[in-house]
Amino acid sequence: MSHVPSTYSGVADVAAIVVLLTEFAMLRAPLLRSQVRLYAFQSLVVSALAVDIAATRHINELYALAVLSFVLKVILVPGLVLRLLREADVDLAGSSVLSVASMVLIALAVSAFGFFAVGSLHVHSIALPTTALAIAAAVVLVAFVLIILRSDTVSQAMGFFSLENGVSVASLVVAAGLPLVVEVAFLFDLLVAVVVFGVIMRVHHGRTQTLSTEELDRLKG
Amino acid sequence: MAALLVVLLAIPFAASVVTFYLPRRPAWMVTVVTGAATFVLSLVLIPTAAAHAQIVVGSVLRVDALSVVFLVATTFLYAATAIFAGGYLHLADSAAGRRYSRRFYAGLNLFCWSMVAAPLVNGLALLWVAIEITTVISALLVAIDDTDGATEASWKYVLIASLGLGIALLATIIMYYAGSTVFGSAYDLSYVKLLAGAARFPPDVVRLAFVLAVLGFGTKMGLVPVHTWLPDAHSEAPTPVSALLSGALLATSFYAILRYFQIAVRTLGPTFPRNVLLIFGLASLLLAALYLLSQRDLKRLLAYSSVEHMGILAIGMSFGAPIAVVGVLLHVLAHAAAKGTAFFGAGSVVRKFATKDMTKIRGGIGALPWSGPMFVVAILALSAMPPFGIFRSEFLIVSGGLSDPRDTVTAVLVVLATVAFFGLSWFTTQTMLTPDLTVSVEDVGATPGPPKGEVSGLIVVAMGLGIVALVILGVHPPAQLSHLLDRAASQLGVPR
Amino acid sequence: MGPSVLAPQAVQALQVLTILLGAPLVSGIISHVEGRLQGRRGPRILQPYYDIIKLFRKETVVTEESSWVFLAGPIVAFGCYLIVPLLIPVLTTYGLPLGYMGDILGGGFILALAGFSVALAGTESGAPYAQLGGSRAMTFGALIEPTILFVIFAVALITSTDLPYALAATVRSSSAEVVRPGHVLAAVAFFLVVLVDTGRIPVETHSGTLEFGMIDEARTLEHSGPPLALLKWGSAMKQLILYTILINVFLAPWGLAGSGSAGSVVLAIPSLLGKAVVIGMIFAVIDNLFSKLRLFKITEFIAAAFLLAVLAVLVFYAGGG
Repeated sequence: MSHVPSTYSGVADVAAIVVLLTEFAMLRAPLLRSQVRLYAFQSLVVSALAVDIAATRHINELYALAVLSFVLKVILVPGLVLRLLREADVDLAGSSVLSVASMVLIALAVSAFGFFAVGSLHVHSIALPTTALAIAAAVVLVAFVLIILRSDTVSQAMGFFSLENGVSVASLVVAAGLPLVVEVAFLFDLLVAVVVFGVIMRVHHGRTQTLSTEELDRLKG
Repeated sequence: MAALLVVLLAIPFAASVVTFYLPRRPAWMVTVVTGAATFVLSLVLIPTAAAHAQIVVGSVLRVDALSVVFLVATTFLYAATAIFAGGYLHLADSAAGRRYSRRFYAGLNLFCWSMVAAPLVNGLALLWVAIEITTVISALLVAIDDTDGATEASWKYVLIASLGLGIALLATIIMYYAGSTVFGSAYDLSYVKLLAGAARFPPDVVRLAFVLAVLGFGTKMGLVPVHTWLPDAHSEAPTPVSALLSGALLATSFYAILRYFQIAVRTLGPTFPRNVLLIFGLASLLLAALYLLSQRDLKRLLAYSSVEHMGILAIGMSFGAPIAVVGVLLHVLAHAAAKGTAFFGAGSVVRKFATKDMTKIRGGIGALPWSGPMFVVAILALSAMPPFGIFRSEFLIVSGGLSDPRDTVTAVLVVLATVAFFGLSWFTTQTMLTPDLTVSVEDVGATPGPPKGEVSGLIVVAMGLGIVALVILGVHPPAQLSHLLDRAASQLGVPR
Repeated sequence: MGPSVLAPQAVQALQVLTILLGAPLVSGIISHVEGRLQGRRGPRILQPYYDIIKLFRKETVVTEESSWVFLAGPIVAFGCYLIVPLLIPVLTTYGLPLGYMGDILGGGFILALAGFSVALAGTESGAPYAQLGGSRAMTFGALIEPTILFVIFAVALITSTDLPYALAATVRSSSAEVVRPGHVLAAVAFFLVVLVDTGRIPVETHSGTLEFGMIDEARTLEHSGPPLALLKWGSAMKQLILYTILINVFLAPWGLAGSGSAGSVVLAIPSLLGKAVVIGMIFAVIDNLFSKLRLFKITEFIAAAFLLAVLAVLVFYAGGG
């Protein structure tokens, strides 16, 4: 490995790594409240990354995007979910299928796969170093692991939102110049999806008085 | 012509807003009129699309032959389902009933609006947005019946479908990146541009984007192994919604995959994209055929039949011959009509017998003198019985496969389709063609069946429309329609 | 001060002496600061020296079941702790003659040998708590080994060699190297390894004698007199050695002598001890911020350290970062 990346890409890579580490922390977090807060922190790092790119690469549209995603993903979404948790007034600890250490090992294997699969593509980007794309792929895969191995609706919803964070990092790497209109359309869509998630979570909680998905196995075959 | 597109896009949305404020009957009538209007408009588009290359409105809307095929399928079901819903919904005249009716009709119109928008918009980004909107609205519609099953089904649906669309978003971004290596960074993902530059895109990146797109949009299309939400959602939703989900939404997601297919074929050559579709198609067909043999729930049976047909569509696309592609597109139309009619019939049966459990339903033909036989006809049509449309489309697909030559795959296709036919017809005969329970009143132990007579005339009308469409498609598709299908198939082929 | 240059052998001996004599000082300062943070007066800074001298004057008592192994353990461990400073960059930036005897893996082996002999001695004594401590120490030591290995891999990937000197040189070369994500991850992973190996919160309570939670401390319960003095001294030296590796290889390899001149070498000694004290204070603060993990949760902690180390290696492979 003779090639040494610049300081800027090192910092950006560290930010991407922090996003990945937050994802692992969400895997472990037993309390649903802490999962939501971890998600808010993760979104904060992603927004900061967007601002960083906007500043260094002079892509002004990214400022607007960063502000929008900050408002949406750091303030609105966590706020809504925390409110749902408060109203639910039920067991606030999520449940998971395996022990923490096993989940970490599985997630590690999965992210290693993602690293190698994406790394072999040799993607060159104007905005972020290519390691960031591999890290984003790992975030997406670990979010999958989170959704599969956790058995309550809030954890699964948080897993989905953090998957979207991973896709955001990927888009910052390869598509930083995507027209603003399109990016806003994506974000708006996410907002609507969040609302729907909230509605259905509420309906589920209203019917079953729990947030667990262990009951949701009637329909089989 | 351009104005037509705007009207086509605007009226379902307007209908949705309007029906939110209307009481039940007027809301229903507005929905029917809107559905019929959109269907007529899309028929009007056929000659133009078959002849010219495309119709555009600015850079936002664009229609070509491929879009019109899917548009016709969707709008036909829109109209037919609207008629069916009038006869199917039994709503109390209470506040709860009014609330349900408002939400139902507004949601139905909005759902159809989003499905009409998907083939109309120009560009992969807007396509993703349109399909995301369909997911969001249909999830709410699945949950509208406040039962345990509906809640479970809608949670699974929204989670898995959103996951799939997250992957599809990643695919869109990666495809954007592929384009940006040729076009620079600020361009708008429109189809024409992408197709023009596709030959110069980096192959590895397009490969990844295509596989992710098939996985992501395949989740919404019902391809195995990401289909797991489908049987639940389609069986627990209210029947009009199930009809639209099975007949129109799956096809719309297939449309999205086809757009990616068009680009991938130009960059990678035909082999890789076709093989990817082949793998998913075979898996879907195999799994669906097997599961069809062991169902208890009537609507779940039809849902697995949808998975089967989506598998057939994917396999058909994997055959290279143009005749197979024409078959695939015809199959989209015929499946919409047939599956819609089947679900209408199922709705009628469920209403009459007050259960979805097929072990408890006997003597359907006796109890339902019109919709019973028509339901049997629809099931036979789904199993590719002549003279209906699916027979013609599957025949075209099979002959395309044999001429490719992909003999083994074609043989497997025919075998599995036969297994599916067996599964479907077994249950249909059990429920429909068994002796009429109302006759055996003398038998002390037998429970008398429900009273003879149709649930609603409107249901019969809707089913009749479906069967007429199937017969037209099977016996003699109109010349313009054939031109349309040919032109669309040529758009999907490898350019020389 | 004339341009007197110290011979490399002298510098090497000076390295060992620094670790030998400076270790109790660092230990003392850390305990004192910890006490202060807890609102007490804290023990005297030179207390560890007094303890060691006092212990040398006491008599040795052994249990009936133990044999020569019981007495040899502390001596072997002490010997290992004297050898390791020869291999790592303590005072200088360049490799010293005996420094090529072993690379970072060799250093790791020797440290493991020291730990093993102490645990063996403790188990051999036949006392239940000492055996408990020994087996726990070996278990957690085995669990932390993969992390250490991956950290070493990460180091090797950056510098293409195994020698700790080379990594220090690389880190000094530019600011870009410091923020390299792989480097940051490996450093944090090694920080956690040091935490486990020196027996600090959240793995073990360093200062108390709560037998149910003791791992490292329990191994030495049965010793007394000069062997105990050697054990205490040895554990302080182990702590300083690990801090030295952490500082001089990963975190802050500045202030080392660039040449053999007497002045720079002598200056390097307080700079090393000062940096070690800073690290120690960070550990002291962590001591007071967190509570000890229950024994079965320590695997989660180790899994986290492992995760970081593996990610460090992956990041190097994935993008040269």
